Amino acid sequence: MPIPRRAVLEQLAAESDATARETTTVVTLAATLEIDERAVEAHLQGLAACELARIDADGNTRVTITGEELLELGTDEVVIVDALGQVSGR
Amino acid sequence: MSEKETEQSAPDDAVQYDPDSSRYDLYECPECDNVVLALGRDEPPMSCHDRPMERVTDVEMQVKPPDVKQVLLQAFGLPKAGLDICLCVIGEGPLSASEVAKELGYDRSTVTRYLNTLVELGLLRRSELNREQGGVVNVYHSVDLERMRRETLIGFYVWAGEAAALIEDANLTKQDYLEENPDRELPSVFWEEFEDD
Repeated sequence: MPIPRRAVLEQLAAESDATARETTTVVTLAATLEIDERAVEAHLQGLAACELARIDADGNTRVTITGEELLELGTDEVVIVDALGQVSGR
Repeated sequence: MSEKETEQSAPDDAVQYDPDSSRYDLYECPECDNVVLALGRDEPPMSCHDRPMERVTDVEMQVKPPDVKQVLLQAFGLPKAGLDICLCVIGEGPLSASEVAKELGYDRSTVTRYLNTLVELGLLRRSELNREQGGVVNVYHSVDLERMRRETLIGFYVWAGEAAALIEDANLTKQDYLEENPDRELPSVFWEEFEDD
């Protein structure tokens, strides 16, 4: 059964820490969420495109500060992240 | 228009007001022509001429059922692309603007423009989230559901009120015309005269 991307973000935030740079792995996430590793990787790529997750070359991954702030918004519908609108130096 | 033409033009999927349905109710004043629409209430919502308004029960006419997409497009002037964006992300987010653009076949700048329009219309909220490398990222998300419910209902009622006023104006114009021109045919000139108003 497909799992929503938001659920992956929530689990990623539970298993990693943006400030402390603590990471988790795709394998761990897949086991916890009980889904295929490739499905986790696909979601992580999507989250990374939104700047909500980081994936390093070793396959370790963590939530970003942006991802943590998104979860703190407490919204659960219609979330689009637009990096085009970024404003530097604020 | 002849009876035959009327029958032919009736939509196949027409709906009829059902007084037994709890979805909405129509009430009218027994003294004047005041008619009100009420959602989710069992009792007459108000009185008129110091009497409770009465539920309309004798309407036999059929109307074309509304489509939620058309209602949003018409009532709020919502751009179709904006609605597509909302529908595209429901249950799928968070998505990047680039993913939405690719999914819908729009330019990314178009998506950004419509997202801002949706914010201006009050259908989305925009929040700025901090980026780890500095600066901020714009995030577009749903407004509070209760707030959206209230605003969309009131917004629609305003639109429906404007539509009802137009229909009433048309009826009054028709009435005036028939009174002033008792011997003339109505259909061919009525709408032209009304448009000129």
